[in-house]
Formats: sequence, C-alpha cells, structure tokens
Amino acid sequence: MHAPAPVGESAALLESLVERIDVGVFAVDRAGTLVLWNRFMAVHSGKSRADTLGKNLFALFPELPRRWLEKKLESVFVLGNNAFTLWELRPYLFRFPHHRPITGGLDAMRQNVTFLPLRTSGGEVTLVCGTVFDYTDTAMAQDRLHDAIAALSREKEAQGQLIVKLEAAQNQLLQSEKMASIGQLAAGIAHEINNPVGFVNSNLQTLKKYCQQMLGLIAAYQPAEARIDNPAMLAEISRIKQALDIEFLQEDLPALIKESEDGLFRIKKIVEDLKDFSHVNESDWQYADLNAGLDSTLNVVWNEVKYKATVDKNYGQLPAVECLAAQLNQVFMNLIINAVQAIDESRGMGTIALSTGHQDAWVWVEVKDSGQGMSEEVQKRIFEPFFTTKPVGKGTGLGMSVSYNIVQKHHGRIDLDSLPGAGTRFRIWLPVSQRAAAP
Amino acid sequence: MNVEIISDDQRDALQEIVNIGMGQAGASIARVLGEFVELSVPQISAVDADAIPVTLATLAGSGVASAVRQAFLGELRGEAIVIFTEHSASDLAELLSYGNEVDGPASRELLLDISNVLVGACLGGIAELLHAEIGFSAPSLLADQVAPGELVQAETIAARCALLVEVRFGLEKRVFRSHLVMLMPEDAVAALQRALDRFIEEI
Amino acid sequence: MSVSVLVVDDSSMARKMLIRALPPDWDITVRQAANGIEALTAYRQGGVDVIFLDLNMPDMDGYQVLETLRREDLNCLVIVVSADIQEAAQTRVRAMGAIAFIKKPVDAARVKAVLMEYGLLL
Repeated sequence: MHAPAPVGESAALLESLVERIDVGVFAVDRAGTLVLWNRFMAVHSGKSRADTLGKNLFALFPELPRRWLEKKLESVFVLGNNAFTLWELRPYLFRFPHHRPITGGLDAMRQNVTFLPLRTSGGEVTLVCGTVFDYTDTAMAQDRLHDAIAALSREKEAQGQLIVKLEAAQNQLLQSEKMASIGQLAAGIAHEINNPVGFVNSNLQTLKKYCQQMLGLIAAYQPAEARIDNPAMLAEISRIKQALDIEFLQEDLPALIKESEDGLFRIKKIVEDLKDFSHVNESDWQYADLNAGLDSTLNVVWNEVKYKATVDKNYGQLPAVECLAAQLNQVFMNLIINAVQAIDESRGMGTIALSTGHQDAWVWVEVKDSGQGMSEEVQKRIFEPFFTTKPVGKGTGLGMSVSYNIVQKHHGRIDLDSLPGAGTRFRIWLPVSQRAAAP
Repeated sequence: MNVEIISDDQRDALQEIVNIGMGQAGASIARVLGEFVELSVPQISAVDADAIPVTLATLAGSGVASAVRQAFLGELRGEAIVIFTEHSASDLAELLSYGNEVDGPASRELLLDISNVLVGACLGGIAELLHAEIGFSAPSLLADQVAPGELVQAETIAARCALLVEVRFGLEKRVFRSHLVMLMPEDAVAALQRALDRFIEEI
Repeated sequence: MSVSVLVVDDSSMARKMLIRALPPDWDITVRQAANGIEALTAYRQGGVDVIFLDLNMPDMDGYQVLETLRREDLNCLVIVVSADIQEAAQTRVRAMGAIAFIKKPVDAARVKAVLMEYGLLL
C-alpha cells in the first residue's frame, strides 16, 4: 500500500474508519510489536489498545502458533505480497468466543485473515497489517449444508438397500404365485388324465390276455396244419403266414404290449408326482427327528449311492421339528438322488456331505456334492416345474419343484450354492415350530 | 485463434521481462524458504480455451497432481495456477515452519501458502518491471490429488483463449516439483501489450 | 585501440538492453551471440576482450560456457549478466572465473562501476 500519509480532517476520518470498521485490524513491526489495534480486536479479545500497543503480539497471545506465524509474517516483509489464512483450513487465528451466548453456534469465531504489507515512502515494508474477518455464520451454514447432505446420502443408501430387499421379496412372491397357479393346473390335469389312463390300462391288460389267448390258439392250430389235404386252403394259409410274417408277430406282440404297459406306468408315475406337487394328499403334522429321517432316506436309496459316492455325515444336535415327515423325506431323497446324478463317474468316486444344524428357532439340513455343479442359468430355473437337465426319459423334472413346494409349506427356505465344475450345495432351513413361523 | 496475439517485438520483450521477473522471484523465494531454488527457462505460448485442460495435464505428467489457483487483478489481469506434481508434505512443512503434525487441512494449507509465495513473487516481479499495479485474490485449491486430466474442467473455463507463461520450480535439496502457469484471457492481453510497448519505448 | 566486446544472451531484447546500458563514451566493437555455442565460436575466432554472459540459455548455458573457457585457459574477462540472482548463483559463477555479476534489469551506473573497478574504463 502506497497511500500518502493523510493530513488533518481526512486523517481523522480514516482513523475513525479503521477504528470502527466491522473487521479486525491490527499491525505489527518486524519485531512483532503491535502498533495498531482496532475496536473489533479489542472487543473480541478483551484486551484494549492500552493493554496491547507497544507489546509483543506473541507475548500477549501465547496460544498463537508462533513459529508458523512468524514465518508467514516474514514472507510478507521480504516479498511484499499479501498472505492469507482461510477458515476451512485453519478455523481461526485468534481464539475469540463466538458472539451467540444465547442462540449458540460453534466453539469459537471462524476467521479469514489477510496480511498486507505496509510501506513507508522509501519502499521498504516496515509493517504488516492483519485484517480479521468473521466467517462464523458462513461456517455454520456450511456445516448445516454438510449435515443435510450427509443425512440425504445415508437415506439414499438405506433406500437403495430397501429397494434391493423389495426386489428380492417381489421375486420370491412371483415365484410362489407361479408355483401356486402351476400347482392348480397340475391338479386339474392329473385329475383329467387319471380316468382315461385308468381305462386304457385296464383295456391293455385285457388286450394282453386276448393276445396271449389268440397266440395260444394259433400255436394249437400249428400241428393241425400238417393234416390239411386241401391244397388251395394250404396255399392260402401259407400266403397269409408269409404276409403276416407270423414268427415276427409272435415275438413282437408281447414286446409291444410290454412297452405300452411301461408307457402307461410312466404316465401313472407322472400323474402321481403331479398330485404330490399340488398336494392332493395332506396328512398330519408331527414332531420328528430329521436326523433319523435323513438316515432312513439314505438307506432307501443306498443302492443308487454306494457305487458312485462316499457319504460324509456331520449331524448336529437337532430338536424335534414340527413337520410332515413323509414329505420332508421325499425332499431329502430328491436332493440325494440329484447329488448322485451330478457326479461325473469318469472321475471316480465323488463325495456327498450330509450335515444338519440348529440355530435359534431354526434347523437346517444340507446336502453337498462334488459333482459337476450348475451354471447361473440353470440355478435360476432349477425349481421350475418340468425344468430338467436330465436326458429325455430319465426323470420327470418335477422333483425339485415339488421339494420347493414342500419346503414352502413348512415356511422354510432352500439356499442354493453352486459352481460349475466344483459342486453344488443345497441347504434347507426349517422352523422348529410352525406356530412361531411367519405365515 | 490467432496464434500471434502479440507481436514479435512484444514477445521478445515479454520473454525477457518474464525471465528477469522469475529470476528476481527465485531470489526472493530462496530468501523466504532459505534454500536454493531451481527455475527453468519460462515458456510463452498462446492456447485455445479447450486446449487448457490438456496443456495442464501434459505439464503434470503421469501420476496424481494437485493444483492451486490465484487471481491477479489490476492492469494485468488473469489467473495463475500452480501444479504440484511431486512434493513431500513434511519437507514443505519444515520450510514454512509448520511443525510436526501435518494433517489433511494443514497439507492443503501448505500448498496454498507455497503457491501464494511463488505467484506473488513471480507476478509481482513482472508487474514491477512493467510499472503496472496489480493485486491478488486469496489462493484456493483447484484440485486435490487427482489424475492430470482432471485438474481443470473445460466447461468451467470462461475465456475463449489465453496467453500462457509456464515455468518449472524445483528445490535443489528437496522432493519438490511444481509448474507455475500464468494465464491471461484474450480480453486482458490488450492491456499487457500497452505495458509492453511502454517498456520497449523506455529502454 | 577499441575494446572487443561479446554480448551473449538468447534474448535479442536482453542484448539490446545491455548494449544500451554500456557507457556511451567507451570505445568498443560489439559482437553478439545467441547461445553458448555461438559464443565459443566467436571466442575461438580470437580477439575477444570482454564477454557479457547470460546464464539461462538453451543448448549450452552460461555455466557450461564458463567451464569451457576455463578449460581452454580463459584469456578474456567475463562479466555474468543474469536474471537468476540468488546468492548461490553469484558465488558459483565467481568460483568459475567470472570477475563480476550484474543483476538484470541492467543498470547503466552498475555497469560503469564494474568496468571502472577492473580498469576497463579509463
């Protein structure tokens, strides 16, 4: 600043301005002695002019960071340029109480300070003037803004999580509804098919009997053929026999009937599974030992398992669980059979791990295999009725969807974990008691 | 944009003024920091506004960088940007007597303080040679540890093109590498030309 | 007899400024060089008495010129004229054989004083 020294009235005006301006104004010489101290500084520091002029700034305010401030002032003396401090990085230089004894605010006044060089006419910087601006209101507004933004962010995150949960719940609901409507459809179809299947089966049995009888008759006629004199009749019989290829017929008839019987049997099985799936037959709920159920199921299918996998059992202590035991056993059987079928025999014996456990109001049963695992797409569809990865003719594809329904009926859930090439893990969670479980 | 926004004579004069100004600045800064300052030869060029982010990014090199901006106002008008590509916070803290605890806010304050010293000395020196009166705004942090391309956003640049003066600063004994870039918008260049013409007359 | 002066600086403006600051009554012939290489070429051609040398130049800077002159058994007077006016720079160039250091912007009175100190002006 190169202003000439003011004279007389204008000097008094400027002095008054500096004294009364609503900004802290003070000045020090190179030794740190205060030569200017305006009203703002006096009022906020509690030290008047008389207390401060002629004394050392650091002696009066020992809490100032001395070395840092001395360096800063030094740079202004040497370079002749302004220096600054900003409240966001350094909340304050002088610790002045904020001016809100009633309404409250921050712990101390927030300040921006500018240091200006003051030169004499010779051009040397002889004094450094500090101007202290009160930024408390701005700081408080900023704080409020930050808090508001932080709160909004938290809410947004919570909402995001809620959305994820809702999506999951919606998916489950859709799945259940799908299953329910398919269940109804299945019941209807089962019912419709049963009747015609019934009489076709019975007719087939009769047909079988008639065939056997007819063939018997023809066999009885065979030796009589030798006794026929009539050459025209013999020729006719011979022609018919050739046209019919009677030997082939005699072989093929029983085979045809057997295949038809098998076909009908398969249809019957499908209908039974369908009926299971739609739960035409409900029985009563009982408290059962799931470990025992698992063991007896394993027994039933042992023949299928023993050549393909070793079984590791790791049963926990389970309380008696309220359930439809027969249906749960069906589920266990389904999982074990699937586990066996997943194992790639060309790689030798696989492992199936059966484990159970008890956690709070729940129990869990887990079937883990070292088989070929399932891709993401298969995992998504595994519980769909009629979805199957087995070749045509093997299995009906209803097993997993039936199991899913049974577990749902028990108010439980099935967790699935699978990695192609590494294996699959199914874990069924069931509530110990039905009353306590959510509807 | 017209690359020749100042004449050859004016350019020569500006180059020499900037050399002298930076040299004087180097000496002042060395006095304040107490250490030998390394200065490169200042480079003067003209850039289109949309080339500014790329230009700064090229100066910053690879790796993260921080930048401080400070305006100069008066007869010479524009902004100075100091790009810090390599610095040790503890070294700088020592130079400016910050003490041991250099936390987040203190490390940012350090950059502002060093920038203030560099910019005030360099631009002050140039203004003095041109007998031009200038003042400075407070410095503020433009970018904090970002990729070089993010130092300044193209959309926020107000000018259409600018005169650019760039000098590299280093400290011999410290880990410290920075670039001082002085940018003057095209509508401020006329005032600079007048000052340069005055200077050339007076030699 | 005319003193042969070589002014070395990459800035033509700076060379102009220096030449104008030389005492008007000094009997000299002035040659100019824009970098260290040109300067050494001129020096080797012979007959250079005083060199005014800038420090910051591209390709070959003032320090390198001083070094080379010393190696080749400097037989002229070198006055460094530079904007880089840190104490350490001044000490360095004196150690390398420069007889004086003049700060830019060049002040005519200072130039005259240096020349008189070394008996170059009578």
